Amino acid sequence: MTPELVTQEIQSALHEVFDPETGVNLVDLGLIYGVGWEAESGEAEVRMTFTTPACPAGEVMTDGVERRVALVPGVRSVRVEVGFEPRWTPDRITEEGRRALGW
Amino acid sequence: MKALATQYAPSFRLVRAHLGLGIAGSVAVAAALLAVAWSFDGHHFQARFLGVVHLAVLGWLLPISFGAMLQLLPVLFERPLASERAAWAAFALFLAGAGGFIGHLSVLKTGPGLAITAGVLAAAVWAYAVTLARSALQNRRKVRSLTGGFVLSALGWLAFAATLGFLLALNLWHPYLTVNHLVALRAHATSAGLGFFGLLIMGVGFELLEMFLLSHGAPVRAGWVALLATNVGLVVLCADALWGPWGPAASLGAGAAGVGALGFAWRVREIFKRRIKKHLDASAWMTAASALCLVLAVATGLVVLNADLEPQVHERVVLAFGVLAIPGFMGFVVVGQLFKIVPFLVWMHRFSGLVGLRPVPAASDLLDVRARAAQGVLLGAGLGVLLVGVLGGWPAVRFAGALLFFGAMVLGALHLWRISERRP
Repeated sequence: MTPELVTQEIQSALHEVFDPETGVNLVDLGLIYGVGWEAESGEAEVRMTFTTPACPAGEVMTDGVERRVALVPGVRSVRVEVGFEPRWTPDRITEEGRRALGW
Repeated sequence: MKALATQYAPSFRLVRAHLGLGIAGSVAVAAALLAVAWSFDGHHFQARFLGVVHLAVLGWLLPISFGAMLQLLPVLFERPLASERAAWAAFALFLAGAGGFIGHLSVLKTGPGLAITAGVLAAAVWAYAVTLARSALQNRRKVRSLTGGFVLSALGWLAFAATLGFLLALNLWHPYLTVNHLVALRAHATSAGLGFFGLLIMGVGFELLEMFLLSHGAPVRAGWVALLATNVGLVVLCADALWGPWGPAASLGAGAAGVGALGFAWRVREIFKRRIKKHLDASAWMTAASALCLVLAVATGLVVLNADLEPQVHERVVLAFGVLAIPGFMGFVVVGQLFKIVPFLVWMHRFSGLVGLRPVPAASDLLDVRARAAQGVLLGAGLGVLLVGVLGGWPAVRFAGALLFFGAMVLGALHLWRISERRP
């Protein structure tokens, strides 16, 4: 099981975690800043942000990420890092996300 | 770092108690309006008007505003509620005070009961204001922001309005005020309506609209203009009512408030223009309708202050102002935000634990689209017809408007009840 493969699986899993307000998944909303996996410990790391620091659904999304990523084969633990540098901007939304938002 | 906003939210029970009271109150207000619609004419200082207005404010709008503030302020200011116990104590005092006060006022019973219940009510409002202000003040950086300015000045005007309300109730029991009671009443209504509800809706509305519409980068200047102009207008209007009249001061104050309303409407427009979420939901439409009602209410207020109208027409324009300001400006935004808050809270407490494990609906999926649209149409049509009936002095038209408004409130309460019962 290569780190690239597991990282890809984690990215794919994050497409199944949705922002409760917009209904768009976190990857297409541009909230995921980075994903990593350490083969030795089996720990997955997800770096993410929210659309605003005062996001009322922030904890729900990080908990959802933890739960979903923990189901990826090879992942023994999950660490979610939330940061606001750089700040999220609408430019981070993917084409797929924009379509879902009505653009 | 896992510094998350959600952890600051208070217990669900506290918020649910306030929202439940407010939703039940909305139906009671609509029923009361229907009961008085046929005779909804004449001077505004009558038991039937005072009863309905205070039922609307204390039974519907204020509990929902308090519930929303208790939920949102800790999240927006990223600090926990200063004391949940104090909030529960305020709720208990509020229930006791508001019930007795509305009952006394509805029959214009001006004895000690009215003054005592007004005192209990004022104590409750002060307890809410202090608890919420203490919570906000924990985050000094946020306090200096536009939202901080709006929230803290709204709470200041709320405490002022409650104190003045108590003094007015005392005056009805044992007259002692050196100013005309009705003119002082204007300061009370202005500080409660524009001071608390107006500033709160503007400040929290900016935050929520940006959040819900995924709108970034709207200039804040119009927001600061709205904050400063509205506060200046409020100070001038209240000072003129309590210690004036000073020539054109009231018109200047209303003009400043008008500039504030335009600043609000302008910034709402800027936020809408920059939104990423293209589909506008009912909540966003209702906020836009609320902004329109605010502008119309201020324009009507300027007519009341400046135009030389026949007494009967003047009275009707005053009542139209009340319809635009209370169920219009405040009602639209409260109903609209409940479409957001209630599904979100239900989703948080029933569905959020399943995120990542299996597909769950979005919070907005809990709403029944047809019921939501029907309520919006009934509310808009009801207020429009009621306004026409009030301005024209036509009882049957007023009744038809009140009936549509009643339908909107019953439908809304049933819809929210069904959402509250939703489970995965």
